Amino acid sequence: MASVNTYDNKKFLIVDDLPEMRSSLRTQLASLGYSNVAISSNVRTALDHLEQGSFDVILCDYYLGGGTDGQQVLEHVRNRKLISRSTLFIMITAEKGYASVVTAAECQPDDYLLKPFTADTLQARLTRLLDKKTRLAKVDAMQEKERWPEVVAACDEIIASGDRYQPDAMRIRGNALIACGRIDEAMAFYNQVLGIRAMPWARFGLARAQYAQGDADNCKATLTQLILEAPQLLSAYDLLGRVHVDTGQADEALKILDQACTIAPDSLSRHRAIAKVAEEMSDFTRVESALARVVKKTHNSPLRDTADIARLGNAYSEMGEPAKAIELIDDARKNFKSDANDPQLAAVEALAQHKAGKPELAAAALARALTSEPGTLPKDVAMSIARACLATGRQAEGEAMLKSVVQNNPDSAAVHEQVAAALNVHGSPERAATLIQECREEVVALNNEAVRRGRAGELGEAATMLTEAAERLPGNAQIVSNAAFALLLDIYSNGPDASKLRDALRFQETVTALNPRHPKLTDIADLQRRIRAKYGQTS
Amino acid sequence: MSFATLAALTIHDVKNRLAAMAARAEARGDSETLRDALTAAGDLSRLLACYKVDAGLLQPDIDTRCPVDLVDELVAETRPLTRLEIAGDCGLAPPAWYYDESLIRMVLANALHNALRFARTRITVSARQTDDWLEFRIADDGPGYPADMLANPTAAAPISDDGVGIGLHLARHVAALHENHGIRGVITLENEPGAVFSLKLPR
Repeated sequence: MASVNTYDNKKFLIVDDLPEMRSSLRTQLASLGYSNVAISSNVRTALDHLEQGSFDVILCDYYLGGGTDGQQVLEHVRNRKLISRSTLFIMITAEKGYASVVTAAECQPDDYLLKPFTADTLQARLTRLLDKKTRLAKVDAMQEKERWPEVVAACDEIIASGDRYQPDAMRIRGNALIACGRIDEAMAFYNQVLGIRAMPWARFGLARAQYAQGDADNCKATLTQLILEAPQLLSAYDLLGRVHVDTGQADEALKILDQACTIAPDSLSRHRAIAKVAEEMSDFTRVESALARVVKKTHNSPLRDTADIARLGNAYSEMGEPAKAIELIDDARKNFKSDANDPQLAAVEALAQHKAGKPELAAAALARALTSEPGTLPKDVAMSIARACLATGRQAEGEAMLKSVVQNNPDSAAVHEQVAAALNVHGSPERAATLIQECREEVVALNNEAVRRGRAGELGEAATMLTEAAERLPGNAQIVSNAAFALLLDIYSNGPDASKLRDALRFQETVTALNPRHPKLTDIADLQRRIRAKYGQTS
Repeated sequence: MSFATLAALTIHDVKNRLAAMAARAEARGDSETLRDALTAAGDLSRLLACYKVDAGLLQPDIDTRCPVDLVDELVAETRPLTRLEIAGDCGLAPPAWYYDESLIRMVLANALHNALRFARTRITVSARQTDDWLEFRIADDGPGYPADMLANPTAAAPISDDGVGIGLHLARHVAALHENHGIRGVITLENEPGAVFSLKLPR
């Protein structure tokens, strides 16, 4: 029965809550010559296995009991990069109908395997999928490193070869074009695919390209059509929700996200998306109802996320129920060591204690929140801390935190609005305008000083200064691009330096990710050509 | 809980047990029980699909797929279940086509299981492209379809005691769900002289 296979050294992980299914899968694998097999009966042990070592193939049952399903596990391990793209994730299910409902374009298993299946079927499927991984190894490796232009090139190679992996390469190609900012090309590519066949992934890609170009109207139209054609593609609802929020139609956004929730009531990411939109609308009752479900479902599960607790706690405070927030956070900190010093949780607690009329406890919580460097914190965390500072009268620290948020998001009107809203509550509207102005002026002053030093021949000093600023403000394209340029100018004038070159390239990538059409990128590329001309290709 | 939900949960549960049973039968080389378990699981899938058709819930998930792989898998899956010769023929198959893999597999597996009952010595599963169509064919060397089935190909097939009608009803529906620019997939039955089940899908 078992045929000889060339992949018998591969490492397998089986995740299934039914003992009989685990052992029959193991027997099937053994009959095919696969002996390196780890087994998990639940998500927790599966994650332990994944943290301890890498696997080539994960065979995960869709139903895992206790409110968890395979799709949640897949999203968790992909989002946290617990598995690389080279790992094969196969979802096993008795019925495709249930599983496929939670189709997320960005997070799909490599394949679905419908129970019951024979060992021969499993073998045929494994060989085929492992062959595909081998063929796509280069594309996957480049994707992993987010080297998008190289991903596009590697995909082009496969598409040109006309082999059976062409369709896979095409899907990846479109994504990569958007990721590296080649939006016009992406648009043309997706339209070309759609001309042949109305494939949902291509229509979704087109919508993403339209979104990237800021074409909200066409993006909405594309997504509305897509939802009619393929109502099971949940990513379409998410993006449509986002576009509605961006265009100030938060009501529409919530309507569309609710629709997605009806289709996939078990999807954690749906409820989180709803909470995010509701938060932006300050509709904290909605935030509470969405996140309470997530927190309840993931309670004591490895899929729990501290940010959910923090945001739910914040919603309670905003709803005037700080006691509930405090209870929730206390419980989290007691049961999870890693939550004890979580800055966002501490910030939410500070606000709750303040509202509950306990200034000392508020101050203690805030002190814990303030232990991290502002520049290193994600925006949402920094905002929580800033709000807590302002509410408890620590104006200077709060404003410093907000400044770092503004300077890291210098061109985002939405972020500036959030900052202004925070200052409206605990300061004054005028203060918001002056703060944002000060942020701009600081950045301008820093740039001017760097330029002055550069002109004075102090290229090294200028580069160092901008490098420091770029590390502090990784979201500020102007600073980061100038840092890249200054480092390259220093190299051009004073000779190659490996560490400076590394920093310059890193900053160049950061700018490209922030804004692929940033004008300074052309200057940076020119300077790189001149360096190569002067010192040779190796530099 | 509605009857439909209850039924869906039960079907899911029974399929899990059938899967365990199939695995045990396979492990001890009992191909007869294996075949029964796989057939029964297939019947349940079709029952659920029929319910979805009636409730308007059957949504095809059409993607780029490889017909050669599907034919190979069906052939490999069926061979251990029978003494008949099962041949795959993909000489004229396109490298890729557009369809819902699990729905098309369900239809073809059902046609194949029917052929198993009527074939004398041999069944051929083939995929081939003619112009803008992909055609899957399941041909056996048995007595062919009864005349009344061929006489009225578009009428809703009567559901016979052995459940053949359910399969055909569903197959027609699944074929029609595969639509591109207004052109839909079709099922045809022919005798050449053995029964030939054909599923054509538009590009």
